[in-house]
Amino acid sequence: MSELKDCPPLKYYDFKPVEHVKVCPRYTAVLGRSEDDGIGIEELDTLQLELETLLSSASRRLRALEEQRQILTDWQDKKGDKRFLKLGKDPDPAATNRHKPKKQKLDGKGSHAPGPGPGRPKSKNLQPKVQEYEFTDDPQDIPRTPKNDAPNRFWASVEPYCADITNEEIRLLEELLKPPEDEAEFFKIPALGKHYSQRWAQEDLLEEQREGARANDKKKSLMGGPLSELDAKDVDSLLKKSETQHESQEDSCPFGPLTQRLLQALVEENIISPMEDSPIPDISGKDANDAAGTSPRSQGKAFSVPHTRSLEARIKEELVAQGLMDSEERPGPGDSEDEVLAELQKRQAELKALNTHNRKSKQELLR
Amino acid sequence: MSADTKIAELLTELHELIKQTQEERSRSEHNLLNIQKTHERMQTENKTSPYYRTKLRGLYTTAKADAEAECSILRHALDKIAEIKSLLEERRIAAKMAGVYSDSDPPRKTMRRGVLMTLLQQSAMTLPLWIGKPGESPPPLCGATPASGDYVAKQGDKVAARVKAVDGDEQWILAEVVSYSHSTNKYEVDDIDEEGKERHTLSRRRIIPLPQWKANPETDPEALFSKDQLVLALYPQTTCFYRALIHTPPHRPQDDYSVLFEDTSYADGYSPPLNVAQRYVVACKENKKK
Repeated sequence: MSELKDCPPLKYYDFKPVEHVKVCPRYTAVLGRSEDDGIGIEELDTLQLELETLLSSASRRLRALEEQRQILTDWQDKKGDKRFLKLGKDPDPAATNRHKPKKQKLDGKGSHAPGPGPGRPKSKNLQPKVQEYEFTDDPQDIPRTPKNDAPNRFWASVEPYCADITNEEIRLLEELLKPPEDEAEFFKIPALGKHYSQRWAQEDLLEEQREGARANDKKKSLMGGPLSELDAKDVDSLLKKSETQHESQEDSCPFGPLTQRLLQALVEENIISPMEDSPIPDISGKDANDAAGTSPRSQGKAFSVPHTRSLEARIKEELVAQGLMDSEERPGPGDSEDEVLAELQKRQAELKALNTHNRKSKQELLR
Repeated sequence: MSADTKIAELLTELHELIKQTQEERSRSEHNLLNIQKTHERMQTENKTSPYYRTKLRGLYTTAKADAEAECSILRHALDKIAEIKSLLEERRIAAKMAGVYSDSDPPRKTMRRGVLMTLLQQSAMTLPLWIGKPGESPPPLCGATPASGDYVAKQGDKVAARVKAVDGDEQWILAEVVSYSHSTNKYEVDDIDEEGKERHTLSRRRIIPLPQWKANPETDPEALFSKDQLVLALYPQTTCFYRALIHTPPHRPQDDYSVLFEDTSYADGYSPPLNVAQRYVVACKENKKK
């Protein structure tokens, strides 16, 4: 076995072809003949034997070649590692001395003395054979394997960071830069649309109407009641009616919101009895704060609107003067909506900032 | 006769193939020489630079391709020979069949013992050698590899047949299949030694087909019987099989097994080692001697 340092066990086979002149006389004779002479039937047997010999040696050669080639290829793959390999750790002088006598002569004659050399290619599976070498050779080599593997692993792990930038990656970055166009739509604040309470109320009514119509079809009676004759547009008017009713209930308290709130804060609410018109029930025992709304309240509901408005303004002035309330104005229709809008605007600002930041980084990368 | 012309054709083709083989071989010889030179250089300089390695790899690849081509042509040639032989065999069987209906006695008795033995030996020698491609495993009926369970021997196949002689003794004889009846699952066989023995009709269990391929000890040693295995082997110069133990399996493709026959006339119960060709050694299924 060749024990050159850092070299895999290349068995320098002697790939000599069969000396057909010596070993296969019939074959040679046939070769010499011209077309006309041809082969006699009686020669078939000997020819067969000789051809088999040739074939056998050729296939052995084939296997040996394949095996050696495999070793070389494996070795090639492991290159870049500190010349370490499965085998071959003997110092040079010993190696040269040893391998000369060990050199296997793969005699092309096929049949004779297989010996350990061709004995190796005997097994059909080439893979385990290469591993076989690991074991048959010095077991000292096996501990070396894990040690020298570390650099490999290190480089493998560092690879993604040190690798060159490929064109593909540049293209990817450019594509990533393009999407900013889509973001414009994130900044649109959709119209408020109908308030959900109104929408739901409308939908509910429509639903009931439909059911009523269905029931009506079945029974042809006025089961659905007043609703069954309603059209879609009637639904709206119905809704408005109920709303105005509702509102009128609210309007029954002509006091401005500030007034109401102030009083609410000062008055103990009777939670058990449903809150009817005014949020201000009997105030027995509660010391209502002077000028505000005590007297008007006790007098009933009918109040002139301007009166309440000036009352509201006066209260506001008073509170501001007292320092209880800021003079800032409240924006917009309802608080809740404002909050949503405010939140939305805040997020949009964030998004915009993030977008610009990202785009800047990507452009830097591109450069 | 058309068979003759066919045979003549095949022979010509064979000739062609052989010539091609030699061309291929001389071509690849050049490459092999190169490899050898590179080897020598690598050894003397005692180092394997990448240059050498790549060069060697390239040379190996070319040589491999050459070897493959050579193998394939050789296989073609061998196949051709097998084809010719089968045609010859067919002719022989046809002649035999024809002969049965004509004057039966003379053809049967003309075969002398010596001639028969030579024939047997030749048949053993020319049993085709199984040379598988890398990765191929030996097929059934190659060497010691048993036949598949539902194998039916074809007409003209040689088998070992257990027949009952007139005196009640049972013996395994060398026989040739005449026919097989699927309905009764019985073979009709002829004793190869045509000395007046009739055609036997035997059930499948009494028939052991003989190998149709020789196993190559260098590439498929597992397809050979190993030492001390019990087998039925043809006793030299007879046409009967007897129990024997393998003494040594063959080393080279053309070698025979060396076996020890069970023989009570010897002190240790076994004969000295005798050579029996691969063709005439089959696995022994009997538990006890008859």
